[in-house]
Parts: sequence; C-alpha cells; structure tokens
Amino acid sequence: MPVLEIRHLVKRFDQLLAVDDQSFSVEAGEIFGFLGGNGAGKTTTLRMVLDILRPTSGEIALFGDAPSRRVASRIGFLPEERGLYSGMSAIETIVYFGRLKGLDEGLARRRGLELLERFELAERAKSKIADMSKGMAQKVQLATALVNEPDLLMLDEPFSGLDPVNQGLLEEEILSASRRGAAVIFSTHVMQHAERLCDRLLLLRKGRKRFEGTIDEARAQLPARLSAVAKADLSGLPGVSEATSTPAADPEWREWSLQFAPGFDPAQVLEHCSANGIALRRWDHHQASLHDVFVQLVGPEEIKP
Amino acid sequence: MNRTNVLLVAKREMLQILKLRSFWLTLLILPVALALGPLLGETLENRDPTRVTIVDRSGGARAAGIEAQFTFDEKRRLMGLLSRYVRRHGLEAADPAAPWSKESYWYGPADVAAFDAAGGLKAALAKIARVRPEGVPAFEAPKPDYSFIAPPRKLVDAPEASFEQTARPLLAKGKTGTAPQIVVLIPKAYPADTRITIFSSDDVRTSFVSKLQDVLTSGLRMDLLAQSGVTGERAVLVQTIAPTIDIDTPPPGGGASERMLVRSIVPLALAYILMMSLMLSGSWMLQGSVEERSNKLIESLLACISPEELMYGKLLGGLAVGLMMITVWAGCAGVAAFATQGAIADFIRPALEPVSSPGIIAAILFFFIAGYIAISAIFVAIGSMADSMSEAQGFMMPVLLLILLPITFLLQAIIAGNNGPIVQILTWVPLWTPFAVLARLGQGITTWELIGAGALLVVSITIELVMIARLFRASLLATGQRPTLAKVLQRLRRAGNSA
Repeated sequence: MPVLEIRHLVKRFDQLLAVDDQSFSVEAGEIFGFLGGNGAGKTTTLRMVLDILRPTSGEIALFGDAPSRRVASRIGFLPEERGLYSGMSAIETIVYFGRLKGLDEGLARRRGLELLERFELAERAKSKIADMSKGMAQKVQLATALVNEPDLLMLDEPFSGLDPVNQGLLEEEILSASRRGAAVIFSTHVMQHAERLCDRLLLLRKGRKRFEGTIDEARAQLPARLSAVAKADLSGLPGVSEATSTPAADPEWREWSLQFAPGFDPAQVLEHCSANGIALRRWDHHQASLHDVFVQLVGPEEIKP
Repeated sequence: MNRTNVLLVAKREMLQILKLRSFWLTLLILPVALALGPLLGETLENRDPTRVTIVDRSGGARAAGIEAQFTFDEKRRLMGLLSRYVRRHGLEAADPAAPWSKESYWYGPADVAAFDAAGGLKAALAKIARVRPEGVPAFEAPKPDYSFIAPPRKLVDAPEASFEQTARPLLAKGKTGTAPQIVVLIPKAYPADTRITIFSSDDVRTSFVSKLQDVLTSGLRMDLLAQSGVTGERAVLVQTIAPTIDIDTPPPGGGASERMLVRSIVPLALAYILMMSLMLSGSWMLQGSVEERSNKLIESLLACISPEELMYGKLLGGLAVGLMMITVWAGCAGVAAFATQGAIADFIRPALEPVSSPGIIAAILFFFIAGYIAISAIFVAIGSMADSMSEAQGFMMPVLLLILLPITFLLQAIIAGNNGPIVQILTWVPLWTPFAVLARLGQGITTWELIGAGALLVVSITIELVMIARLFRASLLATGQRPTLAKVLQRLRRAGNSA
C-alpha cells in the first residue's frame, strides 16, 4: 500500500485553478520530488495532504485513509514559510510539537535533545529562539518535523534560505529518513537537490502534472544528442532525427552533430558504427540534465538557479 | 476534537502570558491599590484643624461666645458619630441612658452638657470598652474642624489702621507652623460698629462664616431684646426657642439606597473585574495570535492540530489566565479583609450577602466563564486576521468601544440604584449579558431573567463559536490579505474551503 496516493485531485480558489487533476503515489522509503515554479500548486497539494485545505474534487489516501489529524503523529512537515515562538527555548519548542504529535513529554524531550545534538545545537537547547540565528532556528524547526520519526516527511522548499553546510545536513536527514523507511516528499525549484536526492519526481506547471517518473525517465523526455567526428555521412544512421555537419581540421573528416528521437538510446548508434566499419575519431553523448527537462516541460521562466 | 491538544495549546498560551512582565505588573496593581488606597485615604482625611484666633476689642465676650458655639457644634458632631458607632455595633449596653445610646436624636445643649458632665468622650469610650466584643474596632474620634488659639501679642496691640499688615505675615506662617490661619477682628466699637473682618491665608469655608454670623447675630438680637425690655430667661428663650427635631433613620447600613449600594458593591466589582481581566488577557491573547501569524507558525501548527483545537486552546488558556488573575485579586481582597477584619468585615458581611448562596455562586461562575468565552473569542478572531499588532489595534479599538461604553453606562446606572430600560436591555443582549447580570446581582434579579438571559447567552456563544471558528480557519493562512468587511463576511459564510 502506498504511503500517499492521490487520484484526480483538483483545488479551485474562486476563479483560480490551483491544482488541476493531479494523480501520483509515493511508496515507503521513496524520496519523491515535487518540482514546479511559483504557483505550480506544490504548497496547495501538500496542504490538502495535511488536511489544512479541502480538495474541490479528487481523492487523497494517506496511509490508506482520508487525510485527518489522526495520522498527524505519523507525519513530519516543514513548511515553506518558517517561524517559531520567539519566547520559547529550542528544546521547549521541539517538545511542544512532539507532544502535539502524540509523544509523551519524556520521549519528545529525549528525541529533541538527540536531534539538537545531531544538528550541533546541543549547547543552545535552552536558548530562546529569539536569541538564535536564522540558520539555527531553521534547524530547530527541522527538528520539530523529525521529532516523531515520521513515516511521511513532507518538506516544502526545504533548502530555501539554508547555507551550503546546512543544505548538506538537510540532504543527509532526507536520506536518513528514507533509509529508515519513511516516504519523503519535498517540493523545490532547485534542480540540483532533486537530481541528487529524488528516486522519482513530479513536474508541475500551473497546477497540472507535466511529468512523473524517475530522473532517467525524465531525461529521456528530451532527445539525446551526439557529437562525433567521422569520414562517413552519419545523417542516415538509424534513429537520427536531425544531423548537421561542419568541416573538421583534417579535410577528410567532418564534425557531426546528431539528434535522436526521444527515448532512443544513442548507444545503439555506436554499436551500429562498430558493426558496419564506420570509422569514428570522436564520440560524445550529451545527456539532458534535469534542468533541461524542466525548462522544456515547465518553462524557462519557472526555473530558479 | 483532541482534548489533549486543546490542553497543550492552552498550557502554552498560559505559560507565554505568564512570561510577560506586563502580566505580573498588572496582577500586582490591584493588591498595591488595595494596600495604598486606605493609606492614601487616611492621608487625605488626616487634615489638621484650622487654627483660628479672634481679636475681640469689644471686651472679649463675643470671642468667648463664638468659641463656645464652635466647641458645642463639634461636640454634637462627635456625639452623633459616637451614637452611629454604638448602634452599628450594638454597644448600647455600655450605658443605655447615655445620650449617645439614643436612637434618632438631634442633640441639644442639655445633652452636650450631660455628656460633658459624665466625663466626655474619654468616659464614654471607657464604658464602651467594657462591652466591646473582640473584633469590633475602637471608635476613632474625628479631629475638630477648627481649633481656637489665643491671639498673639502683636495682633492684640496692632492699631486698626495697620492691623492687616500685622496679620498677613502671621497668616503666611500659619500654613505650616502654629500661627493662626484665620484671624477674626471684632472692632472696639462693636456692636455700634458691626463691621467684622476676617483675614485668612486661604478661602474661608461658608460654614465658618455663617456660624460666626449666627453667633454674633444672636448677640446683637439679645442686645436689641434687652433694649426693648426683654431680659433674662425670656430673652434667652426668644433666642433659643426651636422645634425639637427627631430624625428617624434606619440603623447604619440599613438605608434603602445605602443598603442597595452596599449589596451591589461585590457584584459591581465582579462585573468590573471581568471587564478588566478580559481586556488584559484579551490583549495578551491577541499578541500571541499575531505572533503566530507574523512568525509564520500557523502552517506548522495546523499540520499537527485542527484550527478548532488551536482556537479552543487559546480560549481556554486565556480563560485560565483570567481566572488566575481573579483568584489572586480575590485572595488579596480576602487577606485585606482579614487583616483589617474589624474595620471592613462589618461592611463586607452585608456586601457578600447577595452573592453567598450556592445558586448565586454557580450563576456568578457561569456568567463569568461565559462572558470570558464570548468576548475572548472576538479577540481570537481579530488575532487570526491581523498580521501585526498595529493592524490588530485597528480592529480592537472599535470593538473595545462597542463593549466598554455600554458597560460604563450600566455600572453607573447600578451605582445610582437605577434598574431602568438600559439595564434591562443590556441584560438581554448577549455581548453585555454577563456584565449586566453580574452587576445586577446586588439589586436582585429574578430567577426567570437569570435563566433566560443565561440560556440566550449559551445559544449566542454556540453560534458565535461556530462563526468565529469559520473565520479563524479561513483567516489563518490568508496572510498578507487585508481583511475587508466583505472578505470577513465571505469567510464567515464559507466553511468548506479549508479544513
């Protein structure tokens, strides 16, 4: 049974269609990326999963049931807009959220102290949030999401505002939660994190799904490109959809730029050349990056470096 | 709804308020006021008698007559107060025949003479002390309004032409020292020259001037009567003849308006305390709500608990703080009453009478808690809509005026013993019902009104909580949107948009 299963989810705010017929599922132990620009419907979808917002139509099955606060103890959530009670200490804050998620005080405190230790904040356990730096406060907030060792960890733009060191720490926490068997969903519009972490991802544009699958499957959405130096004419090779050539330094040879139909494996071309005695001096396979896929599917205006 | 979550939110709200310095300052204001009030009152009351000197150049008899009349009036006042004290504490057994044991009496010269002959205040207090039970405070004799001192030599010798120049420096010293504060000059040619001059460093009270005039007029009439051949006892009779006046008043504290006021003191105080603690804890609750919105905490909270749990937790936390404040204040009042038992216990007993039955205590608790929930819910709703304290204050001002102004009229009406249409109407308008019912407990409120107004209040609070829960839910995540009236109404109507 998937941890989260969404079927034909729609959310409309007056005239605005925020989420348009979304369907996807996330399995235990899986790291699932939610990619899209501003207004793509990422936060709205997460809020519906958390039962903060009600869908206009469609279904959400969370641990096999409709979303409700009854399963809050199995969920960890880090919102995009972060903040804590400035007058409370770090450990008080973690214990408070732990207790709201059904932990008893002793356990919440023990786990809170362990998390602070892991985040190198043990010495600041009793410091007020108001006296902490922004980075420290963000780590405390991450601890509030992790204190209940959730089966589903949802992180909304978790890397925004974090320095590279803390981004590394967060990546490690995501991987660690996944290793523990938790399903992790995180939304982002920074492709590098998604590329490094996600088992599968969902690309959204203006509330509508543009792609769902693995990173490789995403890359396969774009045509593969090859550059090669050969004497023969390569434009007739199998799978080539576009070919251009320019003279190479040696007048007997030409530099070829080849493009293949999406989904075609360029390795087959190399195999064909070897089998048919087509001499090649150079062979470069340019794999599409997630960035390229995102630009292609979602639009360049949605990307954030 | 998860009760544990409600309690956790309530506890956090409460602890947050308890951490505020302003909470502790406010909590201490009432006890400090209770402690300082009597001291301040005593200081203000502690006015020394005004020193008067009379320079009587007509022979001295007029000065003696004036002083005797003032002394007589002071004694009559003293006997009146002593009589009131004796009757209030039921101490007539000390000397049933003494004039100060008599009821409803206007003391005449014979009574004052008898009082003096029996040893005056000292002897009366000795008799009273023998029958005064433990706990009854001792009688505190008031200071006389005026004390008469012999005229300084300088004034006696001062020629009339330069009398004022001689008197002024003395009067200037009189403000602080032992010199006279009022100088009365009776000319040598009196009564041929009836011009009496009063020199004073300050305003002279009308009562002083009229009493002085009465005494001197009486002397002038005696002289006229003597010139007309009416002398001796006959002349005195003409001067002093007056009807005997019996004043029939209820015993102290028994007068209708006084009794009503005393009975209304505790209920009025309850209504006032409800108002005060609501305003204070309401503003702290508002601060907490605004902090949650401005610090972007709401989404994290709503991932764990429902908006209703958050709202009820806040209400419960605010209620707990309010009840804590009231308990501390009531405790301080109790300690003050115990510490000064004699002085105010006698006053407190009748004041507590209308609020001492179990039914009324239950009604007080009900209206107190209901009032707290009804008004606090409005503050919570405001907090859920405002992104900053200044924005919240903008909503608060009209709401506070709407709540407080009628309550001010209500309290004034109750103090004036007025149970008119305003009081009746406010009893039935749920926003003011708790205040009106609490304030009216002293005057007496019929059972059907109590139950009817209570039932209406419960229904209104239920509707209010449903509506405010909708507003709260819809407003929580709508940061950065200025809540116009149309938007607020839209949020109140829609329940299904958010969970």
